[in-house]
Amino acid sequence: MTDTFARLIRTPQGLAGLVLILLLVLVVLFGPSIAPVNPEKMDFMGRFAKPGAAHWLGGDQLGRDVFSRILTGARTTIPMAVGATLAGTLAGALLGTLSAYLGGRADEFIMRTVDAVMAIPGLLLALLVVSTLGKGDLNAMLAIAVAFAPGMTRITRSVALTARRMDYVNAAVARGESGAWIVFREMLPNVTAPVVVESTIRVAFAIMLFATLSFLGLGAQPPASDWGLMISDARVYLHQAPWMIIAPGAAIAVAAIGFNLLGDGLRDAMNPRNET
Amino acid sequence: MTALLDIANYSLAYRTRGTETTVLSAIDLAVGEGEVLGLVGESGSGKSSLAWAIMRALPSNAREDGGTIRLRGDDLRAMGPAKLLEVRGGRIGMVFQDPATSLNPTLTLGRQIVEVLKQHRGMGRAEAHREAVEALRRVELRDPEALMARYPHEASGGEKQRVGIATAFACRPELVIFDEPTTALDVITGNRILELFRRLRDETGVGGLYISHDLALVQKVADRVAVLDRGHIVEQGDARRIFTAPQADYTKRLVAAVPTPEHRLVDDQPAGGEPLLTAEDIAVTYGRKRLFRDKRVAGNRGISLSIGKGEILGLVGESGSGKSTLAKAITGINRFTGRILYDGRWVEHERQMDRQYRAGIQIVFQHPDASLNPRQTIGEILQRPLRLYGGDVKDVPKLLEQVRLPADFARRYPHQLSGGQKQRVAIARAFAARPRLVICDEITAPLDVSVQASIIELLLELRRAHGTAYMFITHDLNLVRQIAHRLAVIRGGELVDLLNAEDVGAASTHPYTRELMAASSSLVSNG
Amino acid sequence: MSLSWFLKRLALIVYTLLIVSVVVFGITQVLPGDAAQSVLGENATPAALAALRVKLGLDQPVLVQFAHWLGGVLHGDFGTSIRTGQPVGPMMFTALGRSLILTVLSLALMLVIAVPLGILAALRRGRAADVGVGLISYLGVSVPEFVTATVLLIVLADWLQLLPATGYVPLAEHPIEGLKHLVLPVLTVSLVLVAHVSRMVRSEMVDVLHSDYVRAARLKGLPERVVLVRHALRNALIPVVTIVALDVGYVLGGIIVVEEIFALPGIGRQLIVAIESRDLPAIQAGALIMAATYAVANLIADMVCALLDRRIQYD
Repeated sequence: MTDTFARLIRTPQGLAGLVLILLLVLVVLFGPSIAPVNPEKMDFMGRFAKPGAAHWLGGDQLGRDVFSRILTGARTTIPMAVGATLAGTLAGALLGTLSAYLGGRADEFIMRTVDAVMAIPGLLLALLVVSTLGKGDLNAMLAIAVAFAPGMTRITRSVALTARRMDYVNAAVARGESGAWIVFREMLPNVTAPVVVESTIRVAFAIMLFATLSFLGLGAQPPASDWGLMISDARVYLHQAPWMIIAPGAAIAVAAIGFNLLGDGLRDAMNPRNET
Repeated sequence: MTALLDIANYSLAYRTRGTETTVLSAIDLAVGEGEVLGLVGESGSGKSSLAWAIMRALPSNAREDGGTIRLRGDDLRAMGPAKLLEVRGGRIGMVFQDPATSLNPTLTLGRQIVEVLKQHRGMGRAEAHREAVEALRRVELRDPEALMARYPHEASGGEKQRVGIATAFACRPELVIFDEPTTALDVITGNRILELFRRLRDETGVGGLYISHDLALVQKVADRVAVLDRGHIVEQGDARRIFTAPQADYTKRLVAAVPTPEHRLVDDQPAGGEPLLTAEDIAVTYGRKRLFRDKRVAGNRGISLSIGKGEILGLVGESGSGKSTLAKAITGINRFTGRILYDGRWVEHERQMDRQYRAGIQIVFQHPDASLNPRQTIGEILQRPLRLYGGDVKDVPKLLEQVRLPADFARRYPHQLSGGQKQRVAIARAFAARPRLVICDEITAPLDVSVQASIIELLLELRRAHGTAYMFITHDLNLVRQIAHRLAVIRGGELVDLLNAEDVGAASTHPYTRELMAASSSLVSNG
Repeated sequence: MSLSWFLKRLALIVYTLLIVSVVVFGITQVLPGDAAQSVLGENATPAALAALRVKLGLDQPVLVQFAHWLGGVLHGDFGTSIRTGQPVGPMMFTALGRSLILTVLSLALMLVIAVPLGILAALRRGRAADVGVGLISYLGVSVPEFVTATVLLIVLADWLQLLPATGYVPLAEHPIEGLKHLVLPVLTVSLVLVAHVSRMVRSEMVDVLHSDYVRAARLKGLPERVVLVRHALRNALIPVVTIVALDVGYVLGGIIVVEEIFALPGIGRQLIVAIESRDLPAIQAGALIMAATYAVANLIADMVCALLDRRIQYD
């Protein structure tokens, strides 16, 4: 574990990703307390204020401080994206491992069906789920999890099948190990790494997907200072106050880049053979 | 007289992360006109780097530290890119190690030889095509016209390597470099490639540089031999002399490590009495019945054999013959039909293999990289059989000591060990179960000759200490004839011959066994 | 590529569409609210509601409704829109046509940009050009379409006044105006794709450049240009075809947002409208048509791969 970490910070992507994510974590934990102004405080004089000393990233249509809103907004967006990815990964990992373990016709049936579901674009699937469950951030999280599950199933299965064919698993079978030992101690540690890498990168997707749902009015609801929602609100004023769009857009991009970089760094660091 | 290829005082280093590793130091080497020089070295000796250096195709992190490489007096190092294009493939032809990967999978075989003819001999399309067909005919390929239109995956390994040789000889090169051209092939196929090379050499009088890790093989094709050890040429001279009277210590060790069937390493006879294990009519099928077609393929068909207590049974056959399939059936990895008698009990299904059976019969796999879980420490790996079969977990250092590894290796991970060390760990794991039979599935194949010899020595030592029987699976007939009491020859999933080691070559020997024997290079018979 | 392979693939597409129907039908069945209610409004009498339910078949068991719907689809009848009262099929197919123009143009633009970028990065591995392409692709995959779209709107339409901001003009009637309206949506969709595909081309190309056969081609004395084009590029691009086909799924998701932002009346926009107004037949038809498009794109990609790479065994 410490090895992996040491190798992670030695890769340029890993280090950059880690710094960005640490920054995000700090904002999620302490965002509201370090925000210069109360994000919900309306200020008539500060309506559409240009970015400057008073409002670092400008003010919005109600005179709320955009910078403070972004700091607070991390609290809805980031944990939701991480939660959705975790749920989707868990469901996918279970189904994928099961499919690989069962093999034969059951495996074929599960995988063909997963492929079929993957023919529905992820955003569309998420939209359908949200419209069924109703608007709201928790439902959006669930929708993203549902949209992610098929892809994670496919990845987990292929990794598990590779591990299943390795001679160390054959050795365990020949030794007479129990099925549980083989799955949890021989296969799973080797399956985890690629799945962790994939789901880290997917957090970036989840951030974007969650923002998109909020943008379409189906995720976080006003007056939450969610980043996607902020952009959605700001579209009307794009002539007067483009910073209202650019600032939360940049926040989404930075968060997504952070997870993308971290994922790529982990991919290199978690390969045990990559050690010097 | 200037030599065909003359390398003088040539040194080369690779730079990785700021540190420089010397790969070749002060190499002096000459190939005369019409001469074949064998370049022998183990992995990491720098023999491939030398080939890249001659072809002027070094990786970007290579740094040359002086010296000259001359082809008929022309300094290759001083040549510009345009001149080098003429040398590569034109004046120097090259045959590569693995025909499966060195041919472009998306171009026809014909196109890959035609493009060389067009490039170097300035031929038009039609003329190049005719010449290519002729070139393929010269390497004894049947129906070259049809082969021209085929893709690499539609040809066998031997056919592909012949195409590679035809390409190398197509432009009438002055020198041909062979980079382990038979390593990726089966024994018999490889031997036919060697025969072809000898014939082409007689016909064309071309000079050759034959690179290989296999001393015995080099002796068959080379006039002179140079031995490369960690970037230094330790010895150079007449091929026969090098093998009969090696001068350098390293060469002596190499020659000693080459397995020769006449040099038996085991002189006892198995105890006799009841066999330890009897397999009856073992059959394994792969794949499964599909909706429309039966896609099952037979891995093994009705194999019956037995192993005595403390006996070493050699199981010999070419790749894909079903040797490993049998090993996996006996160890309960593959489903099988038929039955196995062990310890007075018949086993007909892998579920009937109890703890006693599984502990008693252990398997060591070919690639330790695949058989040792990369995420477990050596200690964890060795503890498993101890816990499973009622050993003492504190015995791990003893197990390591038994295979001549330091006790602190227990804390390491497999990737931190060398190939030979990893294979020792795999052997230690097998012996942790106190087995009565260990199945060794090509365990020395991925290792260098000298490491291979030390692993064999270790196995025999362990046998003396524990009286273990071995089922030794290999394609190397010379090696197995040194140690096995009996040989089982397997082909296409069927047992074709079962004979005592001393009877090999007797009148009753199966023709296929004879063919294998003829193909296996041997120092003594040719020396 | 044999006939039996093709038939098998067609059977798979049919299975895919069946599963998609089941999933979409299943999800829409549990949609809260009553279709009849949403058609007739809050003040509808119970009798009118019941009559409409019978008319729509909503009083039948779910399985019967599904069978009825599926039977209609097989005859090319996707049902009647609850919102407009018009047949859903023609409406969706007209919209699909517009979306396909957007999709194909985006894919084409992406290929023109992404493939050279990826090759450049692979050839200049570790150098400034490679790092530059890497940074662009990180940015590209990390910015959602709705942000890209809005930023492009601000810059190109609002500040520079180069292009119309939103709306749709049929290409057939006013080719130039139509294209102008398509520029922003196409740019938005292709930007993410460029990021993704250039990365893939780079990594495939790096692998191929390290392969034995490319080294062999060099050592055969072939000029570098021939080595790169004939031996490396061809092999590097085969997997990219598959990736592009998989990206079609991503594009179809992306156009939902892009069409919404640029007011382009394609299938994505129709779906959003359908979801907002709980227009069940429209949702079902739209999702099914999207999935079918995706499945066909993948079939085409597999066929192209098979033509380029004879190793792929189809049986």
